[in-house]
Amino acid sequence: MADEQKPVGSEPPPPKPGETAAKPEPPQAAAKPAPPKPAAAHAAPKAPAVMAATPWESDLTGQVKDRFGEDISEFATYLGQNFLVVKPDAVIPVLEFLKLEADFDYLVDVTAVDYPSRAERFDLVYILYSFVRNERIRVKTRIPEGFRPASAVKVHLTANWLEREVFDMFGIEFDGHPDMRRILLPEEWEGYPLRKDYSILQQDEKWVKENLGIESGQ
Amino acid sequence: MPESTFLDSTELVLNMGPQHPSTHGVLRVILKLDGEKVNGTECVIGYLHRGVEKIGENRTYQQFAPYVDRMDYVAAVSNGLGYCLAVEKLLNIEAPPRAQVTRVILTELNRIASHLLWLGTHALDIGAITPVFYCFREREEILKIYENYCGARLTTHAFRIGGLQYELYDGFEEQTKAFCDMFLPKVDEYEELLTNNRIWVGRLKGVGILTGEECKEYGVTGPVLRAAGVKWDLRKAQPYSGYEQYDFEIPTGENGDTYDRYMVRMQEMRQSVRIIRQAVDKIPSGPIMGKVPKVIKPPVGEVYVSIEAPKGELGYFVVSDNSTQPYRLRVRPPSFINLQALDRMVRGGLVADVVAIVGTLDIVLGEVDR
Amino acid sequence: MGKLFRKIFLVDLFQGLWVTFRNQNPKYIYTEQYPAERPKVAERYRGAPRLNINPENGETLCIGCNLCALACPEGLIVVTTERNEKTRRKELTTFTYDTSRCMFCGLCEDACPVDALELTQDFELASYTREGAIWDRQMLEEGPKPTRYRC
Repeated sequence: MADEQKPVGSEPPPPKPGETAAKPEPPQAAAKPAPPKPAAAHAAPKAPAVMAATPWESDLTGQVKDRFGEDISEFATYLGQNFLVVKPDAVIPVLEFLKLEADFDYLVDVTAVDYPSRAERFDLVYILYSFVRNERIRVKTRIPEGFRPASAVKVHLTANWLEREVFDMFGIEFDGHPDMRRILLPEEWEGYPLRKDYSILQQDEKWVKENLGIESGQ
Repeated sequence: MPESTFLDSTELVLNMGPQHPSTHGVLRVILKLDGEKVNGTECVIGYLHRGVEKIGENRTYQQFAPYVDRMDYVAAVSNGLGYCLAVEKLLNIEAPPRAQVTRVILTELNRIASHLLWLGTHALDIGAITPVFYCFREREEILKIYENYCGARLTTHAFRIGGLQYELYDGFEEQTKAFCDMFLPKVDEYEELLTNNRIWVGRLKGVGILTGEECKEYGVTGPVLRAAGVKWDLRKAQPYSGYEQYDFEIPTGENGDTYDRYMVRMQEMRQSVRIIRQAVDKIPSGPIMGKVPKVIKPPVGEVYVSIEAPKGELGYFVVSDNSTQPYRLRVRPPSFINLQALDRMVRGGLVADVVAIVGTLDIVLGEVDR
Repeated sequence: MGKLFRKIFLVDLFQGLWVTFRNQNPKYIYTEQYPAERPKVAERYRGAPRLNINPENGETLCIGCNLCALACPEGLIVVTTERNEKTRRKELTTFTYDTSRCMFCGLCEDACPVDALELTQDFELASYTREGAIWDRQMLEEGPKPTRYRC
């Protein structure tokens, strides 16, 4: 898009012609990648800053607890959705156990959430579903930057592309993955777009210049 | 380049796409061929990547709603439903009954529209030119209903968080019923053209078999899974938006081949008509918008909500940090995950079958790449 | 036996051809003769934006509240106002709307408290330049003037 070079043209000049043209995002978006606080912050009373999840107990949690003990730091449920928080090294054994012994044989999704201010920067989320139980659970783990979690491809084949996408977007490399490459972005792209410190306006200018022959993709 | 003549190469690498009429968008498949036989594939995707998830993190909850329509653009209404349900779950509210029934009607119409587009283009890939015209003709009637209802045909933005923005227009019931009456004989007509057609059967039977176990292994959902004999539909398994009130069946196949997937989708269209008929007869009166604050700030938390989109399980994983914008918004796209099974399906088959299999997966690249 | 009969006499082929033949009926013509005949779009169609004016005195209905600009996901509306010291009211000075980035979601229309901004039934928005897609207040009030063809 050639927004930058846009002359005001025949229009009666609006006071900020540059702004209409070169402002692809609403102001609050461009400001900060970190959780932005727009003007309407006064509306609701302060809600708690952590998720109001309640502990979750069932036969399944008992089984998992017996088997993994200390490796599981939390069983919780929020709005009727159950999840467990696992130590990073125990993720694959837990997934395997859930698949083989608790019928959670369908890996719905693998994704990550970035919390730059936390010591363990990323939440890695595995969403599982069991056809037999008709139940969903999430397996979550917290990993620091640079940590290489083990790949789940050996347990669930679906994880192949999903983990590639997590790598593409967050830069989390999975150990033992058969094909750890970018999937959506071009191979040579620099940076990991879904990290919070990657602004929405940011892009790999060098790549854009070299490969597309334009000054900027914005 | 190493010196070699083409004579001593045993493997031929063929690029299919990204500009190829039967990849339904900008999918690039690198085929490794041994003569006519496919020895392996690699999908190169991302040509249509627009960073929808990043955009989601930088828009307010309401503002993001139009963007989800642009992922699976042939089933925009389903995308919108999934997103609205996810945010409603996060807010712990529910849309009023009138809105729910309307949503069901519109999403089922959308399922028909999506399947019609699939049928037309799939038949076109296989070599039957006629069905595409008929399918688009009937799809046009659905788009007219959308246009009358919300003013847009494709990227509808029909639903809002908490309910609906637009009240039903006068004559909605009649138009929808008329469509149902008109449409069922048309499905028979398509079947007349295709089901027993020997070219159609010859090209589809036994092609691209994916068993139920493999489907689960690859996370494949939707009609592809059902064609493999797994009777699983989220509308029945975990009903949302009042689907438990409707009487319908889940069509399944047996062999999990391309022909079964065709049959399953044809049956699904009939079942959708059945749902629409039931729903139109009992649209309740009442408000169409739930109690939603003007500024949506869900409490800190995360939810995963999924619906049965025409292509499979469409899920939204939304993380809120009590601000007006989602902290993280992940879309679980059915097309993306179904496409992963392409390699398993085409391996060992013929080049011509690749076209049939890409078609039968019913992928939309807007959703694969997001 | 029946199968062989069907195969020899190409039953499936003729079945298909019969469907095609049935649809030859001129009653089923669906083609629209655009641009000679303009298609009629729905009443709620979300097309070209328009800034409504009061038909009685020709003044704009817009109160310059900026809600549409805040509601727009693309941030493509820019509203500027000036305070009129006499009436002590905000008055609209300019209004720019970038249709090139608009996705016609209708959120601005929903946000408008006085029904001043409206998405209308005009759907011909093409222009020869990129700048032509950025509409100013005058353009928004008058609406687009697409070429009409005589046929």
